[in-house]
Amino acid sequence: MEGIPNWDKMTWQEKREERFKRWLNPPDVKFVSEEAEKLYKQRVTRLMKAIKLEEPDRVPVMLPTGNSPAYWGGSSFRELMYDYKKGHEIWKKFMVAFGDMDIFSGPAFIPCGQIAEVVRSRQQALPGLGLPDDAYMNQFVEGEYMTADEYDRYMMDPTDYNLRVMMPRTTPLFESFSKLPPFSAIMGNFWVMALADPDIRRTFETIMSLSDTQMEWTLAGMEINQYIRERGYPSLWGGGIMAGAPFDHFADALRGTRGIVLDMFRRPKKLHEAMERQLQWTIETNIKNFPMSASPICVMPLHKGDDTFMSDRQFEEFYWPTLRGLFLAMIDEGLVPLPFAEGRYNNRLKQIADTPKSGVVWWFDQTDMKAAKRIIGDVCCIAGNVPASLMLTGTPAQVKETCRRLIADCAPGGGFIMAGGAHIDADRIDNLKAMMDAAKEYGVYKKK
Amino acid sequence: MTAAKERADLTWQEKREERFKRWLSPGVSFESAAAEKLYRERVTRFIKAIKLEEPDRVPVITPVQYFPAVYAGSSLKKVMYDYDELKRTWLKFLRDFDGDSFIPPSLVFPGKVLDMLDYKIQKWPGHGLPDNAPSQQFIEGEYMPPEEYDALISDPADYLQRYFLPRSAGALEPFRKMSPLTPFVAIPVGYIIQFADPAIRGAYETIFAAAQEALKWAAAVGEAGQAALSAGFSNVWGGMSQAPFDMVGDFLRGTRGIMMDMFRRPDKLHEAMARLVPVAVSYGVDSANASECPIVFIPLHKGTGGFMSNPQFEEFYWPTLREVMLGLVNEGLVPMPFAEGNYQPRLDAIKDIPRGSTIWFFEHMDMAEARKKLGHLCIAGNVPVSLMCTGRPEEVKERCRRLIEICAPGGGYILTAGAYMDIGNPDNLHAMLSAAKEYGRYGGK
Repeated sequence: MEGIPNWDKMTWQEKREERFKRWLNPPDVKFVSEEAEKLYKQRVTRLMKAIKLEEPDRVPVMLPTGNSPAYWGGSSFRELMYDYKKGHEIWKKFMVAFGDMDIFSGPAFIPCGQIAEVVRSRQQALPGLGLPDDAYMNQFVEGEYMTADEYDRYMMDPTDYNLRVMMPRTTPLFESFSKLPPFSAIMGNFWVMALADPDIRRTFETIMSLSDTQMEWTLAGMEINQYIRERGYPSLWGGGIMAGAPFDHFADALRGTRGIVLDMFRRPKKLHEAMERQLQWTIETNIKNFPMSASPICVMPLHKGDDTFMSDRQFEEFYWPTLRGLFLAMIDEGLVPLPFAEGRYNNRLKQIADTPKSGVVWWFDQTDMKAAKRIIGDVCCIAGNVPASLMLTGTPAQVKETCRRLIADCAPGGGFIMAGGAHIDADRIDNLKAMMDAAKEYGVYKKK
Repeated sequence: MTAAKERADLTWQEKREERFKRWLSPGVSFESAAAEKLYRERVTRFIKAIKLEEPDRVPVITPVQYFPAVYAGSSLKKVMYDYDELKRTWLKFLRDFDGDSFIPPSLVFPGKVLDMLDYKIQKWPGHGLPDNAPSQQFIEGEYMPPEEYDALISDPADYLQRYFLPRSAGALEPFRKMSPLTPFVAIPVGYIIQFADPAIRGAYETIFAAAQEALKWAAAVGEAGQAALSAGFSNVWGGMSQAPFDMVGDFLRGTRGIMMDMFRRPDKLHEAMARLVPVAVSYGVDSANASECPIVFIPLHKGTGGFMSNPQFEEFYWPTLREVMLGLVNEGLVPMPFAEGNYQPRLDAIKDIPRGSTIWFFEHMDMAEARKKLGHLCIAGNVPVSLMCTGRPEEVKERCRRLIEICAPGGGYILTAGAYMDIGNPDNLHAMLSAAKEYGRYGGK
């Protein structure tokens, strides 16, 4: 690891301490004031202690702000797809209007409209592009993009498969890539000539014409996050979303729900083999030597392992082993996996405790938090789960009361982060404030 | 969908018959009825030889690769940079020799393209070789260090793109900065953004310019091929492929490296070769699909006698080569492995290929023994190239006569030299062609 001698010889806890130190004292951030720096450190310390199953000064909060600032500021997802500057102005105002938050970051998942129009991925619908103009979020479009007989081809040569089969299938812009020859360029220089194909050339020209815009968009995104951090708000998305569960990779992006369910019965060995390889690739390309980043936390949305999608036995056999493998690899690199268990994980609680103590932070959507605290509270920090429905439709008093109960159930002894069950994409700054107030009012730990 | 399914259900022989039909009727307009008739006769001659039947006479592959350049008063260097000259010389050669086949100049790589790419693994006249050199020269090297086997095995295309290509050509050097596509997830933003890097963009711009240049060359090669077809001559290299052992040995590890690997990391070598089997098959199929001729030329290098023992050949070289050949056969194609060097010690090992599916093209070989041991396959060869380059026409003709006597009876033989003649007496080529006509007639049953 850059700048840290003996990285390979450190224990995972030592590596994590290095990453925590970096999170706490970010060398790339120039705080705007001593006050901002002080608050930043308090906030990071609060989160770190919760992760380590210790008691911080008070319960830390991950507010489910999502893209709600856009609506608070009178704008919309669609508008911000075409005007990131406006979005960033709104986010800055929202931050000031809100005041104290334990984490905050710029707009996420709002892609650049001009690029989305040209790329038109069949796997993503967006406001105005497959969704109504006033839709407030992006929508993943599942499908059987990989056929059942393609597992072997995918495993033998994944990049070849992605480039020449998958990308053309999912994205009209890349359709011409189906005409690319395999990278058997080692056979000589014939490969070059394939790129004389006018369709392939047009694709690359389009990509090149978009790349500056995308770069501007991405840099602006980094800039707003930097701006926010300089004002004392830690970022949760330090590592970005690096990976999901290997099962979900096949279930969501390649085989679709129907396909994967059949595969569990018809070709379980192939599925296992493919997930195992996916895990190894992810570790090799994304996790090993992961650079020091704004935070060591890796948010990982989980999909098809929830209570209703599969049985306990299937979870045990298909979902958990490679997901656990991924957690262990991240932990071993000093990273903090923060799986976001969408849906309900009540049946899973007894199955997911088998990870190193304090290694994983589980963020629950509709799981019974009392049970979670009881079953995995000694092993994992848990986060959750003010219902998004309540946040959207309830009153601040109702939100505050739910938060109070959550704190009573989950906070004792530390290891709890209060969070929403899912993000909200509407202007409910009142309810977000109620959550924050509840943490301050009910979530203060007594000094021992 | 139904058509595809039906096609998948065909036997390899049925698929091959379809390809043979296309070979016999390539959909060109022949320059005369006579040319068309001669074309059918020539192609039929090869098809029958492949199927171990007796044609009207022994077919000949005129054993030249770069020779037409010198023959027509030009040079390899000149035709590498002047595609009109390339076309002119190859067609002049074609018209002057009444052969059965046309070897297109598809391996006479365009000099300008190589220059633009700063291609590092080849020498050519004026570029590492004397201006008057008659052939190009591949530069072997250890382009892949042994510790990179795992990367190659785990994701061949990623490895070739991000590690091998940058080493093989200066202009492709920026590819090393591309991010891996291995665990690619749906949203292509990360793929697009890398093109904002001026170095990566520059690499692609160079490739596009080089590709345009290569198109001009390909057009000349294509026109020469079309002209040959229309004059009644078929190409006999429809496609190309390689033995996986050679892909690793020639391009990645080098001779020294791969010889060590057979001892030090045999498992890795086996795994890497297994990964390259589908690459070699799809390369052979794709290249042959672009041609009317279903023969896939497979030059073999490191499996020759003297390079390794028979047990090593059987363990390391043959199994994946055989898989590639079977993969091609299964697509209705005709593999034509060209066994450079001495395959005498390998005759027992290489028998294990379906009857009538393959042409074994030999250099140094006791053809009588080959005929005996490979009675179920078509064989080709093997007038010594030394004789072709330095002998007298009568000697060549006599040698051909003896070969025909030994190999031709019953069919399944193609007359040619043991390697290609790049310089030498054109009369020796005429001598070979006339020997086939004089001594190679079958009785006609």
